[in-house]
Amino acid sequence: MPKLPRPGAEQNRCAQYNAPDRLRGCTSSERGNPNRGFRTAFITRSELPAGPGRWRTCPPPDVGVSAPSQELLLAGVLLMSACYGIGALSCLLAPWSGRLALGVGHLAALAGGLAGLGVSVAILLGDPGQTLAVPLPDLFPFARLSLVVDSLAAFFVLVISLVAIAAALYGPAYLRAHSPDAAPARQAAQALGLNVFIACMVFVCCAGDALTFLLCWEGMTLASYLLVVSEDRHGENAHAGLLYMVMTHGGTALLLVAFLSLTERAGAFDFTALRAAAGNLDGVTRTTLFFLAFGGFAAKAGAIPLHVWLPRAHPAAPSHVSALMSGVMLKVAIYGMLRFGFDLLAPAAAPLPSSWGWTVLFVGTISAVLGVLYALQQHDLKRLLAFHSVENIGIILIGVGLAMILWRREGAGGALATVALTAALLHIANHAAFKGLLFLAAGSVLARTHVRNMEDLGGLARRMPWTAGLFLLGAVAISALPPLNGFVSEWLTFQALLGGAGHFHGPAGLGIVFSAPMLALTGGLAAACFAKAFGVTFLGRARTPEAEHATEAPPSMIAGMVWLAVLCVALGVAPGYAIRLLDAPTAALLQGPGASAVVTARGPLVLSTALTTSGMDATAISMTMMAALLIALTGVAWVLRRGLRRASQRSAPTWTCGMSPTARFDYTATAFAKPLRLVFAALYRPRREVIRETAGTPYVFRRIHYAGEVVDLAETQIYHRVQRGITALSRSIRARSTGRIYGYIGFVLGALFVTLLLFGVGQR
Amino acid sequence: MTGERPLGLVLLEMILLVLIGPLVTGVIQKLKARLQCRAGADILQPYRDLAKLFRKGTVQADTTSGFFRSIPVLVLAATVAAGALVPVLRAGPPAFPLGDALMLLGLLALARFLTAVGALDAGGAFGGMGASREMTIAPLVEPVLMMVVFSTAMAAGTTELGALAAHRGTSWIFAWRAADFLAFAALLVLLPAETGRIPVDNPDTHLELTMLHEGMLLEHSGPGLGCMVLASHTRQIVTLGLGAALFFPIGPTDGPGVMGLAVGAGAFAGKILALVIYLALVESSYAKLRLFRVPQYLGVGFVCALTALALRIL
Amino acid sequence: MSADTVQSIIDDLGALLLFTMILIIAASQISRAIYAVAAQSLLIAIAAGVLAKATGNVDLWVIAGVTLAVKAIALPWVLHWVVWRMNVRREVEPMIPVAATLALAVAVVVMSFHLSGSLGPVRQTITGNALPVGIALTLLGVLVMATRKTALTQMVGLFASENGIFFTAMAVTQGMPFIIEIGVTLDVILAALVMTIMVLKVRSTVDADIADLDRLKG
Repeated sequence: MPKLPRPGAEQNRCAQYNAPDRLRGCTSSERGNPNRGFRTAFITRSELPAGPGRWRTCPPPDVGVSAPSQELLLAGVLLMSACYGIGALSCLLAPWSGRLALGVGHLAALAGGLAGLGVSVAILLGDPGQTLAVPLPDLFPFARLSLVVDSLAAFFVLVISLVAIAAALYGPAYLRAHSPDAAPARQAAQALGLNVFIACMVFVCCAGDALTFLLCWEGMTLASYLLVVSEDRHGENAHAGLLYMVMTHGGTALLLVAFLSLTERAGAFDFTALRAAAGNLDGVTRTTLFFLAFGGFAAKAGAIPLHVWLPRAHPAAPSHVSALMSGVMLKVAIYGMLRFGFDLLAPAAAPLPSSWGWTVLFVGTISAVLGVLYALQQHDLKRLLAFHSVENIGIILIGVGLAMILWRREGAGGALATVALTAALLHIANHAAFKGLLFLAAGSVLARTHVRNMEDLGGLARRMPWTAGLFLLGAVAISALPPLNGFVSEWLTFQALLGGAGHFHGPAGLGIVFSAPMLALTGGLAAACFAKAFGVTFLGRARTPEAEHATEAPPSMIAGMVWLAVLCVALGVAPGYAIRLLDAPTAALLQGPGASAVVTARGPLVLSTALTTSGMDATAISMTMMAALLIALTGVAWVLRRGLRRASQRSAPTWTCGMSPTARFDYTATAFAKPLRLVFAALYRPRREVIRETAGTPYVFRRIHYAGEVVDLAETQIYHRVQRGITALSRSIRARSTGRIYGYIGFVLGALFVTLLLFGVGQR
Repeated sequence: MTGERPLGLVLLEMILLVLIGPLVTGVIQKLKARLQCRAGADILQPYRDLAKLFRKGTVQADTTSGFFRSIPVLVLAATVAAGALVPVLRAGPPAFPLGDALMLLGLLALARFLTAVGALDAGGAFGGMGASREMTIAPLVEPVLMMVVFSTAMAAGTTELGALAAHRGTSWIFAWRAADFLAFAALLVLLPAETGRIPVDNPDTHLELTMLHEGMLLEHSGPGLGCMVLASHTRQIVTLGLGAALFFPIGPTDGPGVMGLAVGAGAFAGKILALVIYLALVESSYAKLRLFRVPQYLGVGFVCALTALALRIL
Repeated sequence: MSADTVQSIIDDLGALLLFTMILIIAASQISRAIYAVAAQSLLIAIAAGVLAKATGNVDLWVIAGVTLAVKAIALPWVLHWVVWRMNVRREVEPMIPVAATLALAVAVVVMSFHLSGSLGPVRQTITGNALPVGIALTLLGVLVMATRKTALTQMVGLFASENGIFFTAMAVTQGMPFIIEIGVTLDVILAALVMTIMVLKVRSTVDADIADLDRLKG
């Protein structure tokens, strides 16, 4: 058993503020030697920037876990797969009892999620270079399937498992409440679809070769399609599912081209061979392949302008599946981008071509701003949340783009790239948590009221207090307000943008720094949007009988939501520990110092980034301290509010200029969003129709009919034009159809001619 | 000069800001009155108003949910926590890292969000209208503020306000570059928007159609309203303190003991007074803008801030 | 018979086949076209017989006999009967002027000669003009089908195309497997039967030619 070296004069003392005893005398050890039983620090002492005063920097805290053996991890992965497999097979129980199938399926998904959680945390706390290779049976003669779980994959498996646990807890009660008279076949489909969906997502992230990746990618799409169209909604869902399939398969086609170009050059399918083959590519081919892959992944992630399927498909699915799709499936696409950009296609020792990072940054900024703008005008809770997913994917892409721009640049660029990537990965986890929470809360509203339009709800906070409180928590988190987790990842993104802008001089720097106010704009608009969503849905008076008679959601649904809410709070108040988990992925992907060395160099309670190397103090904030301060101040303010002596309290109707207030007096969602609709009218192109029915004289109105519409700019400018072009083309071809047989034979002859000429003549 | 502000000093500064916030409002009211050839109320009147509010009983609307009672508490807590991030008496980063300018903006945004939610809670159109308008102005103000903060932070290499002020402390106003002038102009454009004064909002009226911030406070009463009013005073002085830290860091020194703190306090008072005079002048000289003209007004600030950033980088 | 003799006989027959094809294209009356395709089938039968004699392949004798009986005698007779019985229009109605069709035919022949030069390995196993002629016949048969209006002329074009395929097969592989030969012949017979019935029935019901039915389109 190796001994801890005693703390001596030559060693720096670690941060002693709030540090437990075992941190004293911690030392940095060599990279990657598993026999020593220490968790490795990633840079030596001399490389860390020295802080002011008595705050010496310190390596990340030793968690004290011994290195998990490969066999244990392998057993964990097999257990996880077995759980999902059992869950998928539980659909066979449906002929006996649909509810049993549903229950068993979701229980198995829960177990699989817990197993995945354990395995991924074990891998993330381990050696950054450690990968777990899982052998798979040889199904195909031309390629060997394999699973390789490295730290990046482990991180994504962690995110997937966290949301899967919540969805599995939430699912059965939701399906019972939402569609109580569903046929057993439908319930079986739900159980099957959920387990296959989660399992395929996990295996996409763990894929070690192109074939496994693509197979599981397709499986993910098909399972989610099954779940999207599984609820009966008069053909709306069928249309949403169809659009989803078409766009996803378009993206998959691009992916296929990218992958197969690489496999053709490499001669094999596994990622190590692809990496080696990509090492010999020339710049243009490399960039083309990257953009093909980026297009394919962007279609799946829902970046503008490939987002048109998202607002239709996500609301159509059952709410826990929407949480999974929004919170996790979009992130699997980001995983693909990271894998392609930083791992497979990256040049050996040079920075990435600048067009990659700038395109990703640009797409991210546009998606963030337009996503939240369109979300503002939605009145369907789930559609609103779906558009917010577009916005958050934009924020993640901003981080990824920055990391691509800054990676391997000289000077402080390397550390800044780590900050940017940490921001992106942390936002992935954060978004999964709060978007999952929001979708589950929206789902419980939907399950209890069966009403989707928020204008028909209202007053639910008194009837469903838990759901309302958890929704408010999610709303604060997604609006990037301290002290919750949304603020942390946005802060990191801002710091990376600021540092990056300082790094580039000239127009490039201006481009980077312009993303920062755009990001601030999206934060402000998100807050506005959720003030509207929360206020109109939960506050005020109930506007319809369904809202009047709503009751609180069943406890298992609340349990799922509470799980994610606790995650949001934990990630917000103590993000240093989560960043500790991000060490391995960032170190492995960027081949540099891990996340905590750059971001939590002052200990796990403080986030700090050093933007310049001029000896200035690094910017440091502490979410934990701020949370503590807020709690203390809340206590003081509460005492203040109670008054110095007992004061009278009474209740009275809301002031409505003397009239008896009814539900009609409440401010509607359309009215709430109207000022913003007018401010951004250039982007919205709103249309409005007001019809006034008069009774008798033109001065007395019997009824006023107001209809307003906001168009999705991408849809009208791009997709409708493409649609019109294709329709015109097919119409013109149809005109050639004469109905007579000689015409058709003439076509055949012509085609035969052309084919023979093209292919026959060249062969001499 | 860079020093460190121990935790006790930070808390003292925070309490100081809360205590003199109403005084600042009183001074602005008095100045406005004088400019408008009125006598005006005493500068200590806001204190008396607050004391009255905290003694009164509460009348709560019957449609409010359980959140309503906690909204004033949370808003006040968030605003005062933002006050802890502003360097008042001495420049320099706090001993234990607390927050930077971005966190300050985030806390103020949290306060605004919770106020809007509280306004929608009681039902009725006034709260909704005030909340809607406030949440329209807020997303337009935040990017410009962000750009102002960034343009100064880029010169200093940090966004933490104490450290930023310490860095700027070495360069007097004569050392301002063109970027600083433009950023300061943008801040001056933003100040009425952030503090809820003419030409963006009218803090004196309670006519439902002309108020943004006041509209959201309509249903609060008694100590709750007292907390909200105190929060708006604190927000005002926090914003002024932010401007002072970003652009006029002269004064706070590393001088030992009480002497240094007294000098810092005097300097701070002087800076705040300058900005207060500006606010009073603007309020007395202009009329309140229509809501849909405010984006154009803020656009001026946006262009100034953007140019400041461009000059800083290029 | 020596290989060269066989080769020259096949080449001459090929030339004659092309001539009959031109007759089909240029025919202005249906009955002339039918006679031309009958002659073409006769020439195919002769070619099959010659090859049978040269290679000693029994199948080729059967092929020759079947072609003679079915395609040179029986099917043309059926077509003549339809023409006589139904009093169909005696003129062949082309879609594009005959001169244009002939120009196209020349282009097709040139192209098929050009093509067969570049069909690599196949070129070595056969010599002479058999392959290009066969390809040209096939394509010209399709050309006839594409440029003529009436159903009967399209049948003629089908038969000519069929002959071309036969000739190509025989030239390249010295005979087709018997089962394919029977299958193809049956195919042609069935097509002829179906077309005959349709023409008669449509004519009796609607009093219009099949070619005038053109409403079924997209």
